[in-house]
Amino acid sequence: MKKEDNKKTLLTDLSVGQKAEIVSIEGGRGARKRLSDMGLTPNTTIEVIRIAPFFGPVNIEVRNFRLVIGRGLASKILVKPK
Amino acid sequence: MNGGKKLNIVLAGQANVGKSVIFNYLTGLHQHIGNWPGKTIEKAEGTLFYKDHVIDVVDLPGIYSFSTYSVEELISREYIITQNPDFIINVIDSTHLERNLIFTLQLLELEKPVVIALNMSDLLKQERIEIDFRKLEDILGVPVIPVSAVHGKGITELIDSGLKLIENYSPPENIRLKYGNETEKAVEEISGQINKTINIYPVRWTAVKLLEGDSEIIKECEKENITAIRNANSLAEDLKRIHGHDASVLIADERCNIVFKITCEVMKILPSKKISFRDRFDSISSDKIWGYPVMIIMLILVFLFIFKFGDFLSGIIEIPYKNLQATIANSVGTSFPASLVTSAFDSILALILIALPYILPFYFVLHFLENWGYLSRVAFLSDSLMHKLGVHGKACFPILLGFGCNVPACLSCRIMETHRERFLTALLSVFVPCSAVSVIIMGLVGKFVGMEWAIGLYFLAVIVIFAVGKIASKIITGEPMELIMEMPDYKSPSLKTIIFLTWYRLKNFVYSAAPIIIISGIIIGAIHSAGWSNYISDFLKPVTVNWLGLPLYTGILLIFGFLRKELILLMLAALAGTMNFNEVLTPVQMLTLAIVSMFYIPCVATITALKKEFGWKKALGITVFKIVFAIILAGIISRILTFFMN
Repeated sequence: MKKEDNKKTLLTDLSVGQKAEIVSIEGGRGARKRLSDMGLTPNTTIEVIRIAPFFGPVNIEVRNFRLVIGRGLASKILVKPK
Repeated sequence: MNGGKKLNIVLAGQANVGKSVIFNYLTGLHQHIGNWPGKTIEKAEGTLFYKDHVIDVVDLPGIYSFSTYSVEELISREYIITQNPDFIINVIDSTHLERNLIFTLQLLELEKPVVIALNMSDLLKQERIEIDFRKLEDILGVPVIPVSAVHGKGITELIDSGLKLIENYSPPENIRLKYGNETEKAVEEISGQINKTINIYPVRWTAVKLLEGDSEIIKECEKENITAIRNANSLAEDLKRIHGHDASVLIADERCNIVFKITCEVMKILPSKKISFRDRFDSISSDKIWGYPVMIIMLILVFLFIFKFGDFLSGIIEIPYKNLQATIANSVGTSFPASLVTSAFDSILALILIALPYILPFYFVLHFLENWGYLSRVAFLSDSLMHKLGVHGKACFPILLGFGCNVPACLSCRIMETHRERFLTALLSVFVPCSAVSVIIMGLVGKFVGMEWAIGLYFLAVIVIFAVGKIASKIITGEPMELIMEMPDYKSPSLKTIIFLTWYRLKNFVYSAAPIIIISGIIIGAIHSAGWSNYISDFLKPVTVNWLGLPLYTGILLIFGFLRKELILLMLAALAGTMNFNEVLTPVQMLTLAIVSMFYIPCVATITALKKEFGWKKALGITVFKIVFAIILAGIISRILTFFMN
């Protein structure tokens, strides 16, 4: 168990292979609605599968399927690392 | 049994679940493309003749929810509500049950008869998943049919159970799937205040949407149900206070929880298999380092395939084409009306000559990569690059297509979510040098000025695309979208699906482009045989000769290029009387002509595609912009080159 366990952080700050629980999604209504419609709701566990270079998008696994989220939007997702 | 009755059914589901395969299976050759009134979005429509029934089948676009995020979502829900289909087939990818059921729950809220097609059920064993579909049927209260669309299994059962369902259908009275206590209370309270006689939307659904703050539904209800809206707002505030999240997020979360519970009850995942070759390729092809070389190799292979195949096909077609052209020219004579007939035939043949050889393999490869799952990896890897152009990763796809032909590029902009992204992507794709432009670049500059200059022109195109993207994304209003895309697993491409989609797209292109190409062919033919070519060249003299420094006769070339850009090169040979262009043009003139040809206008087929997607105003806007831009750019470059090269 690491020290920052109970700290909230941004999805973009996670490293590949790390799991986390979604705390909240900031940002525009449309995108937030979209993500929650796809199953990214508070308390959902996600895992970072890969991160594209050059500030590219983040590929995560959530509810048994894989999703790619642009870096800008991913940086608005607040998570609690597991 | 309601024998001989006309029915209307709808296929709905998320993207990549095999809807189009089922659609194709149901309707076979009886397909047509239709728009419903006032909407520019397209739906695939077909007819199924089944046991006395004439069934109109509509394939809605793949969507994730019925909110207002994308054009498709909005239109799909409007279609279901206003067109009132007899029943809906909800196609589900059974290997991703949980994700798919989130949409199913929203579909069920529309209170129409629904049959669930548990597609890809043949893959369950391989994926080591077990689904108790009888139990799922019980929980959801609708028929659930295991289907394997690729193998045609379960499709008859699907239609049968749908027909049985609507024989004596009454909407379920008690709601089986309930939200959390507070949410339910709020929904009930709002439901009571909704004016049922005026609203065409289901009451409970409307209540949920008002609570979610859905802007479209609020607009719809503003006149008649202002109290309900006000109440919904205050109830949403209450919910936010209790749960700490927006009502819309809360509702989505509760929906997800219902789905999670259902999934746990009906689905079992058996211990997993070992890492397959597919997984290994997946990790290489989306790797942050290795992904890029893999992508470059793939793209080179794709382009090689398309150009080789295109050359091969056009080689086959060319001889009969020339013979036919000669036969027509001989048989109709040389009178003025006869020359119009000849140009009309020429245009049709020209259409076949572009549509078939290059567009056909393009569509085929595109759907192959899409079906296989590779395109999503390209979008993932190129997202950050695309953001520099003001769009997101999915736009790489139309832009790549543009290298073959701008027409499919414009049409495929539909994969973008909003009007803004679609228009921006189309604008970028029409600046991509298509295969006809490549013919000019290679045949004129590559051959007579130097290969390095030809490659330089491609670089120029890239720079122009970046500049246009940068500027246009600043000018065009609206919030830029972020990439949200499902990353599908690699799967074995289904040849049947790929061929079907290729055929469907090709047909669509021919229907939309043919009339315009033929009409403009006739007009240009008339101008030519009336002997006005010289007047036109004279008229264009200030631009061609004075500003661009080109010979006088290039004026008419540019007019012909409007039809098909490679005509510029063919006509140049005819007018100059030689294929050795270096005898008639200086290197600077060749470069200038190539630059003008690259950018000066989208060809008529592309303009038609633009018009189809965005309307006349925007299509003409792009056209005018390109003409002005190309002339200014080519003139400036010509001056710079003259300064340095002489």
